[in-house]
Amino acid sequence: MLGEARIPYGTWGSSYFPAWQTSALAEVNIGQFAGESMARIMGLRGVPKSELEYLVIGSTVPYHWKFWTAPMIASLMGKRLPGFHIEQACATGLQAIIQGANEVAIGSHDVVGVLTFDRTSDSPVGVFPERRSYQRTVPIADVWDNFGFDPVTGQAMLNTGGNAARKYKLDRREVDDLTFHRYEQYFNAKESGFLDRVMVPLDLLTVQGKKLGTIDADLGVRMITRESLAAQRELDTCVTSGTQTHASDGMATLLVCNKDRVADLSKRPEIQISVVAKAEVRVNPAFMPEAPAMAVKKLLDRTGLTMDDMAVVKDHNPFAVNDAIFAKVLDYDWREMNKTGCSLVWGHPQGPTLTRIVIEALEEAVDLGGGYVLVFGCAAGDVGIAAVLKVEG
Amino acid sequence: MTTTLRQTTLETIDLGTVRDIFANGALPVSVDGAVDAVFGPADSRGALVISGANGIVGSGKAMQFGSRLQPYGVPIVALDLPSAPDGISKHYGGLVRAFGRDGADAIMQSIVRVSYDGATLPADLDRYNPRFLLEAIPEILDIKRGHYELFRGRYPEIEIRSVTSGFPSRELGVGIAHPAFPHEINKIYEIVEDETSDVTRLLWALGLQPMRVSDDWSFVLDVLFCGVTLAGLRYHDASNMPFWKIDKHVRRLLGPNPFRAHDAIGAKGADFLTWSCLHHLAENYGEVFRPTPTLDERKETGAEWYPPNHFRPLVDWSLDADADNDLRTWLYGPIFQMTTLMLQEKRSHLAQMNLIGEQCAQFRSGTLAMMRNAGADAVIDIVERYQALHPAAVGAAWHPDTLDAIESAEWQQLYVNAEHDGQVGVLTIGREAYNHDVDAELNRAIDWLKAADIDRVILTGDFHLAGQLVGADTSNFFPALEDTDAGFGVSNDWSRTARRLNDDFATSVGFINGKRCLGGMLELMVHCHYLVSADDATLGFPEVTLPVVPGMEGCHWPFRRTDGDGHARLMQMLLSGRLVSGTKAAGWLVDAAGPVEECLALVWSLATDGDHGLERRPLHADALSGVPTDVPDLVPGAPAVEAARKAIVDCVQGSCGVPLVDAVDVQSRHSADFMVTDTCRRGAVGAEATKTLDV
Repeated sequence: MLGEARIPYGTWGSSYFPAWQTSALAEVNIGQFAGESMARIMGLRGVPKSELEYLVIGSTVPYHWKFWTAPMIASLMGKRLPGFHIEQACATGLQAIIQGANEVAIGSHDVVGVLTFDRTSDSPVGVFPERRSYQRTVPIADVWDNFGFDPVTGQAMLNTGGNAARKYKLDRREVDDLTFHRYEQYFNAKESGFLDRVMVPLDLLTVQGKKLGTIDADLGVRMITRESLAAQRELDTCVTSGTQTHASDGMATLLVCNKDRVADLSKRPEIQISVVAKAEVRVNPAFMPEAPAMAVKKLLDRTGLTMDDMAVVKDHNPFAVNDAIFAKVLDYDWREMNKTGCSLVWGHPQGPTLTRIVIEALEEAVDLGGGYVLVFGCAAGDVGIAAVLKVEG
Repeated sequence: MTTTLRQTTLETIDLGTVRDIFANGALPVSVDGAVDAVFGPADSRGALVISGANGIVGSGKAMQFGSRLQPYGVPIVALDLPSAPDGISKHYGGLVRAFGRDGADAIMQSIVRVSYDGATLPADLDRYNPRFLLEAIPEILDIKRGHYELFRGRYPEIEIRSVTSGFPSRELGVGIAHPAFPHEINKIYEIVEDETSDVTRLLWALGLQPMRVSDDWSFVLDVLFCGVTLAGLRYHDASNMPFWKIDKHVRRLLGPNPFRAHDAIGAKGADFLTWSCLHHLAENYGEVFRPTPTLDERKETGAEWYPPNHFRPLVDWSLDADADNDLRTWLYGPIFQMTTLMLQEKRSHLAQMNLIGEQCAQFRSGTLAMMRNAGADAVIDIVERYQALHPAAVGAAWHPDTLDAIESAEWQQLYVNAEHDGQVGVLTIGREAYNHDVDAELNRAIDWLKAADIDRVILTGDFHLAGQLVGADTSNFFPALEDTDAGFGVSNDWSRTARRLNDDFATSVGFINGKRCLGGMLELMVHCHYLVSADDATLGFPEVTLPVVPGMEGCHWPFRRTDGDGHARLMQMLLSGRLVSGTKAAGWLVDAAGPVEECLALVWSLATDGDHGLERRPLHADALSGVPTDVPDLVPGAPAVEAARKAIVDCVQGSCGVPLVDAVDVQSRHSADFMVTDTCRRGAVGAEATKTLDV
């Protein structure tokens, strides 16, 4: 357990994640959006930003003035904090929380803000002049070209899904069923009002101060049918447009603090939320969907916990095959996880994805009266990350 | 003997009553006499020295005094450090606009720029014979004291006034003449001195507005201005709302944009001044004034409050009803609490305290007017709710007992006063724009005179707080943009008040002094049986330019008191928005015009039924015929102007075409109907409403 570090209940929030190019978020500096939104969310949660001492930010897609990273984002939040930027593709949103907890655990700061964000829409094109390269100058569209080409393996992300599906001999019908179930879970959570407790609608302005748009929905997410899933062409084994996530834009934030500060920050200080442990693994090249399961296995081995100990299980699942493999490896019923939604359905802005997952998982655990929360996901071709948090009180 | 409804503000600087001005046929101080008293006679005129003359205050005051004293041969010595960036030359364009190129050149030539090292005065200064030092150097006590010693050592008789925004006179050892932004225009000076001095009389005679305040930290203006900034800062700390958005809400609820104002004035200097005022106030009065850590930091950095252009605000902040309630508590609570402190210490005449908030701190309605309209119980409730949110504010500088007098005339007549000598009454307006408060106070003042059986009355400005009468306060029209009943109500209510000047007195005389009388204020004035204007005052109906349709009977009442030629001139005024001088308005819009002192005597003669030689122009109560429907050779205007012209012509025809008794409703209906049109909403009033209310 990360010592004295706690996540004060309720001091969190996420923007909705509109699909790429569907909202006003496609037109803004996402770093500025994230900083200003964090101030807004903390204000709504009753946390003065003057309480913050440090800021950990996580994002993966370059944005204008990214050079300045966390200190600039903190200034845009309205509080001149020191801070650090961390990044490891889709694992970023969880590792940023761990890093925030570490800052508290080692006694550097008592209250640390964690802020993750990304905009996949109109991701920047980088130009890499390399005289000894096979191409003298390489322009790369940050999101799409990298998704399409892992420079280490030469394979696309999508193919890692197919590779893993073949290895585990997955059945396309089961993957479609699993996908359909995930959509049902999301829409049930939405209808129950669950999302209203963690998601924050945000209004955006033009430079003239007029309304640019409102980010108040996971735009692009529509209920799906089994028939439409079944009708979709396989792009690789068990991977169709329907059984993979979509790129989106957004931000998410939460606080980590010393346990002595929980009462000052949370409206329900009796709830104690701590980070128990974390694990990361790499699996064979281009087998990304099995990496989360391996990370969870490692995590359980090191903590002595079992899947039966988990009150909430939630993951970042860019491919439905991730969950099917997890179920096989851990001998776990995939119906019992992701009960309040997951990134397969609501999209994947990269940096904030796992942060939103953690927030939703903690909220779900509080509803259940506490317990262990298992959160995990994959990243960058062959990486798996997993963490267990504990909700008490 | 003159009886007053409440003390006149002129009496606070020992200049008597307004009734005395008319009865004496002379202003209490002449400019010539006041200049001689401060700078010596013309053959040995001394100089005004402004130290820190390149600063925002010093340079503004160099322009203000330069333009007024240049005709009297008083040089302005603009003293500053050699390293100070030039702050004088940038005013040249403004001078040209106001006085023409020749006038601007003459003013600039009267300003002598002198450098000094801060420790010694240049020998060359002697040739200008410094008689009056206006100190505008940095707000650091020891530096200021040393500066005064420097001057007193060389010029023992010199009059010194500090423009300090915070330090009391007792700390500085000199008198205070604290001006307000924008310094080249704003005429108000907070004055601290034991007895009314020649300097104060000079300010008044020059058309400036000296207001006596008590010798307490930050006086009145900076308690209000720094106070509203601090209120915004505290709300920022509580809510995380960014400053630009808080500014919008402060403008919606109170009027000013405190953070924008700091940036506009120059954040580096303004942040320090605000911090300094609040710091000293907190040391003396407690935590309600304590600067927040954010301000502590900006005092050092001078950082601007608004984001740079490349980070213009992106995420908006909406408020639900509960959050809006909280915001109101955070803003109103400390301002009301601080105001009770100023009341407890009797920092100034209440009308001045109220008006300083409006004219200098940009409050749409002065704090006392707001508190009075809310009522004592509501004020106490909101302060207590604020203190619950900010417990450190409890106890310190909170004087709810001062609200016990809220029903007194001092509280209830903030803008309109009345005086009488048993025969003649004087109604004085101390606000430049007519609004609901002025309307209510004018009615109460008329009632007060009627209760004293006064049936001869003079209506005028107050020779102090209102340097001009610029028309209606258009913020009172905002509801009328959406609701014709609201538009009809404001027009009809105000018109019926104006009619009392005609109906309730045997003789009423309006006197237009000051620079301008426009719009609603002119409509009010024309209801008097006689109207006299200073020859150089400018009069007009600029409504067409906003555009709105005049609503206080300007479309028929003056027509009923003149003939065909007058009708044509009135139509020209109404449809062009052009101004006329008092002299040119004589005979058809006003009864007489002339130099001020001649006017004073004439007005008194009219009010006392003396030998004035003027025939009262009859008021035609029947329907008028032959009123022109257009103005030949009128330059075509933009579509909005043309639409307003048509509406005004319709209003003139409609309201002149019915008997007087019916005309008020006809005029109000036309005015209200136009107010809800897209033309009006897209105009100046609509734009101001959007800017104010649409946050």
